[in-house]
Amino acid sequence: MSRRSFIKKTTVLTGGLLLHNSMMKAFALDADHRINLGVIGCGDRGKGIMQILKELPTKFNIVAICDVLDFRLKETEKVLPAGSVQSVKQYKDHHQLLDDKNVEAVVIAVPLNLHFNLAKDALEAGKQVYLEKTMTYNIPQAASLINIAGNYPKQVLQIGHQYRYTPLYYKVKEMIEKGYLGKVTQIDCRWDRNWDWRRPVPDPSLERKINWRMYKEFSGGLPAELLSHQIDFVNWAFNTHPTTIVGTGGIDFYKDGRETYDNVQAVLRYGKEGMIGNFGATCANAREGYIFKLKGNKGTVSLLVNEGVFYPEAQTRKELQTVDGVTGATKITWNKDGGMPILTEPTKDGTYYAMVDFHKSIVQKQSPASNVMTGARTAVCVHLANEAIYTNTVQQWKPEYNF
Amino acid sequence: MQVSFIQKPALKAFHLEGYAQGTTYHITYYHTHAIIRQVAIDSILNGIDSSLSLYKPYSLINRFNRSTEGIATDHYLKTVVAKSFEIYKETGGLFDVTVQPLVEAWGFGVKHPDSLPDTARISALLKCVGTGKLSLKNNYLHKSLPCVKIDLNGIAQGYTADVLANYLRSKGIQNFLAEIGGELVVSGRRQPGSEKMSVGIEAPGNDPYEPAPYQRIVHLDHGALTTSGNYRKFYESGAKKINHLIDPHTGYSFQTDLISVTVWAKDGITADGYDNALMGMGLKKAMEFVERKKDLGAYFIYTTPDGVVHDTATHSFYTLLQ
Repeated sequence: MSRRSFIKKTTVLTGGLLLHNSMMKAFALDADHRINLGVIGCGDRGKGIMQILKELPTKFNIVAICDVLDFRLKETEKVLPAGSVQSVKQYKDHHQLLDDKNVEAVVIAVPLNLHFNLAKDALEAGKQVYLEKTMTYNIPQAASLINIAGNYPKQVLQIGHQYRYTPLYYKVKEMIEKGYLGKVTQIDCRWDRNWDWRRPVPDPSLERKINWRMYKEFSGGLPAELLSHQIDFVNWAFNTHPTTIVGTGGIDFYKDGRETYDNVQAVLRYGKEGMIGNFGATCANAREGYIFKLKGNKGTVSLLVNEGVFYPEAQTRKELQTVDGVTGATKITWNKDGGMPILTEPTKDGTYYAMVDFHKSIVQKQSPASNVMTGARTAVCVHLANEAIYTNTVQQWKPEYNF
Repeated sequence: MQVSFIQKPALKAFHLEGYAQGTTYHITYYHTHAIIRQVAIDSILNGIDSSLSLYKPYSLINRFNRSTEGIATDHYLKTVVAKSFEIYKETGGLFDVTVQPLVEAWGFGVKHPDSLPDTARISALLKCVGTGKLSLKNNYLHKSLPCVKIDLNGIAQGYTADVLANYLRSKGIQNFLAEIGGELVVSGRRQPGSEKMSVGIEAPGNDPYEPAPYQRIVHLDHGALTTSGNYRKFYESGAKKINHLIDPHTGYSFQTDLISVTVWAKDGITADGYDNALMGMGLKKAMEFVERKKDLGAYFIYTTPDGVVHDTATHSFYTLLQ
């Protein structure tokens, strides 16, 4: 009998099918340190995160919520876990929440222009911080937050680019690193919708507070709120940043008094990689919605938020199909359109994995995958993209952005 | 004078592929003309599903599982159950089709439970497990307890490959490969070159889109190959890896040094019937078991305690690897 050993290490099981639903249940069995959490900002995003935290009852315990608007606090009572409303403290001023000694960690989900100040306050108050993306409103704030966070090395500052945590996007990063796509030259990203991107306003005086995304003073518009996810993923997956950014845009459909553009396109050139990223969003067409395609000379990865497919180029397909048949356990199958699903079942919402990791980073005292440095890099990209779009100028990456 | 040669028309490869049993199937056959219609294949596969699939609420197997005493079988169900009894006996009960309630409890069935089972739940379910609680008389499959339920997923695909193979043979085709869900039957050789057929054994941990996705390539001209492995369907609970291969004796998933077992046998039902049980035996016992059997070969991928992956094969299987 002949034996031949393989020098493959223990990562052998990474090709596994992730059974997310069962996996979640399995997590719930494990004893955990339950973290007392305060949520600052109870708009759609803050409430959305609280909804997801219901799936992680052993990891987080919401003890306080904060919003400047009374009706938001009222709405939030409905998304709190049943029976917990009485015990959850409600604040209108975030300073008071930060003074609450019972709060160990905070989620900050407020308008972009407030990110820097609130993150700073929270770190100074000794809290563990989950700060929504984009990290800061502009480049100087990004640089400054890096310095501030440096003073609190024992506290976690995680930035809400949650795609870094989903098994799907993680797998794609691995596929890129292993060269399955070959040399990637083009990346196409869209995040389209066919609605005005406004929230209902119960009182006209609250327009700017509620629809802050419409106003330059508060928001980085579509690039900051949507495209930053894909921009961050490209930075992460290729361990890079753009060198040149051009952009264009306008208020092309909703001429409703908004200042941020409802139609944008930015082209990011990644000089070192020889790669072009096309990032676009419109509020006036929803046909394709979310697009994220990475195109290499060996194959394409096409991603939705929770599913992805690999399409080999013709030559790659030939190389993959050299045998007459394949035998294997729970064989992964080709789609009818010639693609191969990257995972065999859709993932959960990315925020779920991001919050699991936030918990882990706190408990194990680790720096999260989406941290102040990576968050700053993406904040710079967004700032430059907006500069390019608003001023019709070509923006260049500068050495001082290499934090 | 003119010499005339009677030249045989050249054989060409024809491919059929489609979806069935929650996976894909591929058939390659060599003939002068395309004589197999896809609809014929699909109709055979639908027929098998109607009998053996847990995913079809109306299937015979589901009707059996819902019944209190049993049901009259059809040809498919009877054949597979009879073979299951044989393999149950041969493997000392490691292959047991009555494991269904446990498979479902651990989240690998059609219905997904809300929580993982505790020891009390496992003990309760074990009372419904045991092929001894089944009997097949004439065409009637009887159960001694209403809670006895069967899962034929561990053997049905291998059998399905046999059914497809028999259909191709009935059409006079001698050279073909019929595969469904990674279980396959080979007959004859590639034409016109007459090379043996090549079959890749999936490498655990490698992705199917990797440049070299196979651990080994097997060359053969007859028999069936099936693979059982715990490297795709699993999840982690604490430090434990829970996989879909459940030990009918303990109620928990098998925890052995094996990552995958590829079995060669004369037909698919035999190969597929043994592969899961071999996974449960662990390398040493599985190797001894297969070496004792005539007409059975196996290839193993396993880990040593230090986490390094190795492979090995029985004598008869090793000849296929050359």
